[in-house]
Amino acid sequence: MQKLNNIYPKESIFCYTKCTMKKIWIILTTLAIAVVATMSVTTVDAAKPNYIITTDATYPPFDFQDSSNQYTGIDQEILKTIAKREGFTYTLKPMSFNAATQSVTSGQADGIIAGMSITDERKAVFDFGTPYYKSGIAWAVKKGSNIKSLNDLKGKTVALKTGTAGADYALSIQKKYGFKVTYFNDSDTLYNDVINDNTQATFGDLPVLQYSIKNGTKLKVMNADSPYESGWYGFAVKKGQNKQLLTSFNKGYASIKKDGTYDKIIKKYLGAPASDFTGKKSDNTSLLGILKANDSAFMRGLWQTLLLTILGIVLASVWGIILGIMGVSQNSVVRGISTTLIYIFRGLPLMVLAFFIYIGLPGVIGAKIPAFTAGLITLILNEGAYTGAFVRGGFEAVDKGQMEAARSLGFTYNRSMRKVIMPQGLKIMVPSFINQFIITLKDTSILSAIGILELTQTGTLIVSRNSQGFRVWAIVAVIYLVVITLLTLLSNWVEKRTRA
Amino acid sequence: MSEAQTNVKVHVDKVNKSYGSNHVLRDISLDIKQNEVVVMIGPSGSGKSTFLRMLNQLETPDNGTIVVDGYDLSDKKTDINKVRENIGMVFQNFNLFNNYTVLENIMLAPVELGKMDKDKAEKKARELLETVGLAEKADVSVNSLSGGQKQRIAIARALAMEPDIMLFDEPTSALDPEMVGDVLDVMKDLADSGMTMIIVTHEMGFAKQVADRVVFFESGKIQESGEPEQVFAAPKNARLKEFLGKVMHA
Repeated sequence: MQKLNNIYPKESIFCYTKCTMKKIWIILTTLAIAVVATMSVTTVDAAKPNYIITTDATYPPFDFQDSSNQYTGIDQEILKTIAKREGFTYTLKPMSFNAATQSVTSGQADGIIAGMSITDERKAVFDFGTPYYKSGIAWAVKKGSNIKSLNDLKGKTVALKTGTAGADYALSIQKKYGFKVTYFNDSDTLYNDVINDNTQATFGDLPVLQYSIKNGTKLKVMNADSPYESGWYGFAVKKGQNKQLLTSFNKGYASIKKDGTYDKIIKKYLGAPASDFTGKKSDNTSLLGILKANDSAFMRGLWQTLLLTILGIVLASVWGIILGIMGVSQNSVVRGISTTLIYIFRGLPLMVLAFFIYIGLPGVIGAKIPAFTAGLITLILNEGAYTGAFVRGGFEAVDKGQMEAARSLGFTYNRSMRKVIMPQGLKIMVPSFINQFIITLKDTSILSAIGILELTQTGTLIVSRNSQGFRVWAIVAVIYLVVITLLTLLSNWVEKRTRA
Repeated sequence: MSEAQTNVKVHVDKVNKSYGSNHVLRDISLDIKQNEVVVMIGPSGSGKSTFLRMLNQLETPDNGTIVVDGYDLSDKKTDINKVRENIGMVFQNFNLFNNYTVLENIMLAPVELGKMDKDKAEKKARELLETVGLAEKADVSVNSLSGGQKQRIAIARALAMEPDIMLFDEPTSALDPEMVGDVLDVMKDLADSGMTMIIVTHEMGFAKQVADRVVFFESGKIQESGEPEQVFAAPKNARLKEFLGKVMHA
């Protein structure tokens, strides 16, 4: 119950006074500006060139995270050594292999080192540096499987990693041997799929498969001595771009090859047991051990998830309310714009929108868009469209008589909306808002696809190192549930207050 | 109201309105003088509510002229919001603002539209609450009121703008029978105070008692109009006779 003498309930969260409304707007706008400002400021050492290098960090022994969640592996050590010798710095952006190659071709990243085979097709869009590792394609089955030859694959399903040379090879012989294929974005999920017998075989790079098997993956390589299409790995830049980077890489590579550093690196990773890099067994095989060994990585991932969620919720709500208000405008053009924007961005899958903004758009506008910004824009557009739809619906759900009564007193349409319809509509919408907040939190996980190191991507990287899918994903799931529970409690509290 | 001035408050000339093929108003012409209380009766769907809602432009006519308070409503230059400030309206379903308390409902328009400052509006609102007999309900939520109470608050809300004309669209139709009397009493007091009132109602007793003129609508036309004694005691129109036969002996 409101106080006497007070026409404007100041206590309520959806306050109707001009001043409180203004205050909220000021806070939101300041927040938004602050975010945009922080995102656009990236500290760059002007003296040395700084490159953005992308990789697929689920690819041991070439690219993976070690027990302290640092990126390591043959590729990473080669790159680090070369950068030091040649005097350039770089920012590493790990993502799925497929997204990684695309982010180079779209200009979002300058170079890629990801155990990437040099093929004629790739040469059409990439310039490769000096080939640095000889590899070939092998196929593997579950240990103890009764598949003996490629002929036994008839009617079976083969697991492939999207965009890899192994996948290309498998497709080239698919007709001949009559198998089906299914695709994965990270190696570990793929291996587990074969081990769990959901799929019966996989094609991949021989050293990667061997390394993984050596470290306990229960697979068996079928052609260790005669890999198909043996070829070389290469560091790559977009065709015709970043010539200086490529030159530096080649020069540095020649130097580490010459003085034996290269051989030492190879030996370090192929000769040593994986536990040297991935940590003690106890750190990897118990829930508590995993949690302790990766606590800072989980915290960083959680922080990114929270940051995306909070900014996403606030900005998408603002945008959604704007769309909703436009949707009940008297002007049919404004209404049409709102309907169209809602239609487009509600219709697009979140991941498609993320790829479009992060990988598609930079090629057209000729400027890089940081992954976090791209992810946030994706959330605002997508979640904002959903919000806009239920905001418009909420306004329309307010009894028509309320509008007539306000108009009959001499209120303009806009004043009637602001003073009478919107406050009631917003109250109707509170449950929808809460629902949308929870969806936003969950949707941030999809943004791992463009390499944002949030909670889900953090989990992917840890699993690729310790192969403890069940335990790691259980931890990640529990963290999400805890956050969602807190968000729900907060929302319920807010909802109760608006009802009072 | 025999001393009613000849000053015309509402002038309606040859107004037509159709919804698709449904011709709800046909060539309606009517003048209403200041201080006059006009009660409109007729079967449902006869067009009387549509006619009433045209007087403050909640409905727009297809053609014809409506002049209220000297403002031609069909003139694009007329600021309808200004005109509406002088026309109070009471709805069948009350339409109190659910997001405000009783007092806030009454104060909202005068304060928002700059007619009064907050203190004056509140003083006015409390006086009106006194008038409609609900002073103790000032600070409750509108949803806790009975229908009869809601309608009396709605009348107070309309009166807060100090209008010259009051429109009532079946103000007692949604009420439980025992609530009707309270609302009609308030309306009767208002009529006695000299307010120009146009009322759509099925309360024939009230019409007899309060109306200066009774207008009978049927099939989108004014079939008969006159003083209540004449209309109720000696109806000429056959349809009016039939209608009265039904409602008076129900």
